[in-house]
Formats: sequence, C-alpha cells, structure tokens
Amino acid sequence: MAPALELRQVRKVFGTTTAVDDLSLIVPRGALYGVIGPNGAGKTTCIRMIMSLLFPDAGELTVLGRPSALEAKDRIGYLPEERGVYRKMKVLAFLTFMARLKGLTQEEARDRVPALLARVGLPEVERKRCEDLSKGMLQRIQFVAAVIHAPDLLILDEPFSGLDPVSVRVLRDHVLEEHRRGATILLSTHIMAHAEQICQHVVMLHQGRKVLDEPVAGLRRQFDSRTVLFEPMDPDADLTPVSTLPGVVGIEAAEGAYRIALAAGTDPAALIAQVARAVPAARVELARLRLEDIFIGIVTGGQRLGEAARLRATLATEAEGAPA
Amino acid sequence: MRKVGLIAVREFMGAVSNRGFVIGLLVMPLIATLFAFLGPRLMTAGRVQIHGQVAVIDPTGLVAAELRVALEPAAIARRQSETRVRALANAPSALRSVAGTSNPAIDRMLGDAPALEILERPPTSDVQQEKAWLTAPAEGPRRLALLVVHPTAVSPADVGSEYGTYDLYVPVNLDEQVETTVYESFREAVLATRIRARNLDRRQVEAVMRVPRPASVTVTLGDERQTNVGFNRALPFVFAGLLVFGIMIGGQTLMTSTIEEKSSRVVEVLLSAVSPLELMAGKILGEMAVSMLVLALYVAAGLFLLLSFALIGLLDPMLVLYLLIFFLISYLVFAAVFGAVGAAVNDMREAQALMTPVLLVLILPWMFGPVIARNPNAPLSVVLSFLPPVNTFAMMTRLASNSPPPAWQVWLTVAIGVLSAMAAAWFAAKVFKIGLLVHGKPPSFRTLVRWVREA
Repeated sequence: MAPALELRQVRKVFGTTTAVDDLSLIVPRGALYGVIGPNGAGKTTCIRMIMSLLFPDAGELTVLGRPSALEAKDRIGYLPEERGVYRKMKVLAFLTFMARLKGLTQEEARDRVPALLARVGLPEVERKRCEDLSKGMLQRIQFVAAVIHAPDLLILDEPFSGLDPVSVRVLRDHVLEEHRRGATILLSTHIMAHAEQICQHVVMLHQGRKVLDEPVAGLRRQFDSRTVLFEPMDPDADLTPVSTLPGVVGIEAAEGAYRIALAAGTDPAALIAQVARAVPAARVELARLRLEDIFIGIVTGGQRLGEAARLRATLATEAEGAPA
Repeated sequence: MRKVGLIAVREFMGAVSNRGFVIGLLVMPLIATLFAFLGPRLMTAGRVQIHGQVAVIDPTGLVAAELRVALEPAAIARRQSETRVRALANAPSALRSVAGTSNPAIDRMLGDAPALEILERPPTSDVQQEKAWLTAPAEGPRRLALLVVHPTAVSPADVGSEYGTYDLYVPVNLDEQVETTVYESFREAVLATRIRARNLDRRQVEAVMRVPRPASVTVTLGDERQTNVGFNRALPFVFAGLLVFGIMIGGQTLMTSTIEEKSSRVVEVLLSAVSPLELMAGKILGEMAVSMLVLALYVAAGLFLLLSFALIGLLDPMLVLYLLIFFLISYLVFAAVFGAVGAAVNDMREAQALMTPVLLVLILPWMFGPVIARNPNAPLSVVLSFLPPVNTFAMMTRLASNSPPPAWQVWLTVAIGVLSAMAAAWFAAKVFKIGLLVHGKPPSFRTLVRWVREA
C-alpha cells in the first residue's frame, strides 16, 4: 500500500525567500508524525502544499496514493493554523455544512454531529451561534469539523496554539483517539514538548530544510546529552571554578539553575563529580534530553554557544502562552 | 457539482436570511414611492406666492384693460387647468381617469401664480423715466416689471405686415414665473383685443384654430395598441436600471461575503474540502440566485402595476426574456470581478480602492442611456452594444427603445457577452486561487497580473 504521504525533493519559493527547500518525506499509513521547528521554519508552507492550497515550484508529492490532495479531499481532515468559522452560523448548521462538503449525507451528518460534540465535551452548544463561543470551544468545534468524516489522513497545523493546559490535554486525547481509530496523523508544532509527548516520529525543519527525520524512541539513543544541570547551594556563588573545568564549553542560567555545556568527548559522570567538588551543589545531574536540545544541537553543531542561547531564547519566547 | 451546489445554497441562505437583505429589497421601491409622493411637495413647498406691481404703457389703449382681466385669479385658474390637461395628455388613460380634472399633485407642481397689480401709465409716458421707477428705492409693493405694448400690437402698420408685441423691462433677480404669467396674460389679452378689433367671433376663431393631437396607435403583427410616449421613453431606463440593480445586489454581497470568509479565516477550512474554483462557482451561483429573486420580485411588481393600469399590452414579453439573458451575462462578468476583488483584499476599505473603476463602468450605462435611447441605431449605440462590459446594458436599452436593433446585432452582443463572461471567470478563478490565502499588503494591479500568470 502506498504511504499516506510522500514528498520528493519539494521546493517552494516566495519572492527571494525559500520557504521549503529540497524536502523529502515519507509518512507511512497509520503513523503519528510531528513536524517541528520554530516559526518561519516552513511547516505551514509544507502542510499547505500537502493540502494543495499551495503548489510546489519543484518536486513531487503524493497524498493517500494520489498525485494531489484535491483528488482525496474527502479522505483528509485538516485543521489549519489560521482557523475560522462562519461567525453568524449556528454550530449545528456549520458542522453539518462542513460534513456535507466532506461527502457525508444530511442524515449521516445529523447523526454524527451531536455524538462528536458530546465527545469533545460540548453537548449543549448545537443551537448556539459560533460567535458566542470561547476560543477554546471554537478550537474543539473546528477539530470536530476536521474529523467529522472519519478521515484516513488527519493534518493538524499548530493544533495546540493559544490553548490553556486543560484544553491542550483534551485535544491531545482526541488526537490520540483518532490515531487509535486508524487515522494517519501529521501535526505541526513549534512547541517541541508537545511533539515529544504525542508523536511517534518527528521531522525537524529549519529555514525550510529538513534537519531531522527520526522516531522519537530512537532519538535519545542517537543523541547523547552533553548538558549537566547544576544548582549551587548558594544562589550567588561564584561559578568561575566550574567554568574553568576542562571539558566545559559554556554555562547559561536556566530556570533557577545552570546548564553546563560539555565539549565533545567529555565524560559526563567525571565532570559531575568535578563540578560538585568545585562549588557546593544543591543539585547536579545529567540533563534529560529534549527535542529542543536536539534541535539546537543540530542547528548550531553544538559549538556556537551564543547561537544556541539565542535559539533557546527564541524557542522559549515562542513557547510562552502555549503550555505543555 | 454537489459541492458547488452546497456552497451556493449556503451563500443564498446566508444572504436572504439576513435582515439587511429585506431592507435592501425595500429600498428601491421605497425611494421611488417617496420621490413620487414627496417630490412635488418638496419642489413647491417653499414656493411663496409673488405679489407686486407691473407698470404698463399701452399706446393702443386697448390691451391694458384686457390684461387686467387676464391677470384675475379666475383667468389664471382656467389657464392652469388647461396646462394640467396638456400635462396629462400623454399619460395612460387609466392614469388620466385617476387624475381627473383636479389633481393636487399637478397643482402643487404648477404652484400659485403671482398676484400682479397693473399700474396703467399714460400712453405717452417716457420709457426711460419708467425704467427708473423699476429701480428707485420705494416702500410698499414690489416693483416687478415695466411692460411697453407696441403700437402695432392690435393692428399691424400695413396690411400684410407683422403684428407688434411688447417689450418687458425687469429688475435683477426676478422670478421666472412672473415673466411666464405676464406673457400668458398678455397673449390672452392681445388675442382678445385683436379678434374684437376685426369684429370676429372669438369662439369661432378658437374652433377654427383647434386641431387636437391624436394619440397614435402602434400596430404590431396581429395586434395593435395605443402608443404611449412616456411609457416608451421610460422603458429603456427601467430595464437598464433593473440590470444594474440586479448586478449590484449580487455582486456587492458576493464581494462582502468573500472578504468576510477571508478575514475570518474560514476560507482555509473550506479549501480543505473544495477547490478554489468550486468555491468561486458556488458563491457566484448562490448570489446569482439572490439577484434573480430580487429581479423576479421587481418584475412581478412591475407587471402587476401594468396590469392594474391596463398597460400590460404595451410591454413586449420578449423584453423580459432579453432581460434574463443579459442579466445572466452581465452578472457573470461583474460577479467574477467582484469575487476576485473580494479574494484579493483584506477588508472593505481596501476593496473600495479596487472597486472604483468597476463602479465607474457600472455608471457608464446611465451616462450613455439617454443617448442610446434617443438614437438606438446611431454608430455610438451600435459600437457600445458590442463593447464589453457595457454591451449588454447598451443592447438592453436599444431593445427597449422604439427602434429595436436587427436580430444579428442582438445575437452578436450575446456572443461577445458570453465570451467576456468566460474571460472574467478565468481571470477571477486565478485571483481566487492565490488571493484567498494571501494576507497583508493589498495587491496592486501589477500583483494581480502576476498572480494570474502564476496560478
């Protein structure tokens, strides 16, 4: 069976900006893929090309075995990054309209809408106008619109952006439920923690190019953590003895502690002991590897600490207001 | 096609279930009714009856006395009644019977005649001195005019030579009504004097002079009907107006709904289910149904009025068919443009800039309407009826005129219209495909052309 998605050397240029460059990707049927990267990495352009909302300048792609999503629209569910509804329409009318556009009959739509609304915890909003709902409620309504026809392929562009932690959890559960039903899922997010929690496989984009395409399970095996988390007993302690230790390439403050970056080939266990001896420690441990670290490591090659710090700050800013 | 139908139905329901639609539907008849009822009142409500003096130098010694009689209220009322009869002469018989002999609306239009006091001066008075009377500062009644009757006004100097008339001197800013009343009264007075001077019977002379103008009868194949000048003159404008109004209703709503869908970002959700072309086609068809509903209501109301005034026979049923054909063509041309503008811009403010040229084109039929209706087969009329996008308006005006064009010209207009509709739809589809997902700076004309090339 053909993969759910296949992109071969796809490229898209807007004016002088290359939004997606030489991107190749295969998403097997039934997989749960995450496309991650900071804002402007090319995620939305990539998804819009998959959806045939934009067309590549070069390369080829197939969607559910067809040369274009236009030929398989009724089997695809799509939650765009820029979501909208007919504000004056009632929820039931809007969802029935979307269901019918996706190929369902009036009767099928009438059966499914109430059941799905109940499933997303909004059984009472059928008769309300869309403009009367909160942002979180609308997000769930739009998710229902994307899955109402039980699609084979579900594409979610930044599904968690702007949601509170409870709504994120509810939506995450629904995505996983769709995956269990058998749908292939491709979601994009700039909050790497989300992808870490939900995806089986991640594809990282940076400046339009793919920099990583790996199963999440294999990532930690493949990428050694070369960061030690250190919290001194005295918050105002002088860290010069630590920064001058052999194998330490940089120190940066992070969430009340310090992240100590190690040079390649440095033994983390030996360094942890040296750090504890140099400055009395309340906590010193090997940092748990995060997608964010992997991304920064790949982009900076683990060498340019200034670039890494800048990227970390950018990612932290983007993650603000989007809780994990 | 099923998806196009779904989009069309939603578009139609979205437009007609709106309170604004009902208001919009009533606006045109309401304005027409208000104009009909309030127009005469507004035009005459502020008109004050003019009072004043007119000095008369009458060397004949015969006219001034008759003039005094002709300016009496009873004489003025009689003349107004004659004017009313003339005004109604071209109106349909049903209207004439409704208007009767006393129509307050026409009386209001005519207004109150000036109340003029005649001051007879000696026949040998110095005209220059009397002119000074006109401008001399004075209290009391206003000095309105100096009328100097020619000595030959009643009897010509020689047999066979012309009768004299009068000279009129007036101060600045004199109401035109005074001159009209003076002329009509003088005419009546001098005619009476001349007839008496010849010892003729006035009634006989009037009977000899009276030749009533008949209402012509238009003969068609197997039928004949009374020609109605007013109806014939109004018809081209009514049909061109219906065409423009139908397009404006559907086109404007189409543009607004497209802008709303774009700005509310619902468009990307829709495009995950339908192609841009299906979306555009559905929206255009939905709004076309809205326009056709409005036109059908107006045409039905018009036919009802014609029926109730027994004028239905004057309307060629083919005109309604042509209205439908030309509406479909022009609507498709303009709706494609309105839709493309809606897809290209971010909000209504940006749309106004791009819409200005389109609206100017829609005004053109009004500018050329009178010219085309008066000379339906003049070169300008013929050329305009082949020039998209005004060709359909021009041809509709020509068809509704008194000299309809030859059939080949009508079908050539239809063919050109269909081609231009296809071209407009092609252009709009390209703009739709790219514009719907582009936000930010509004596109220039050059950008639109680039989009069309890229799509």
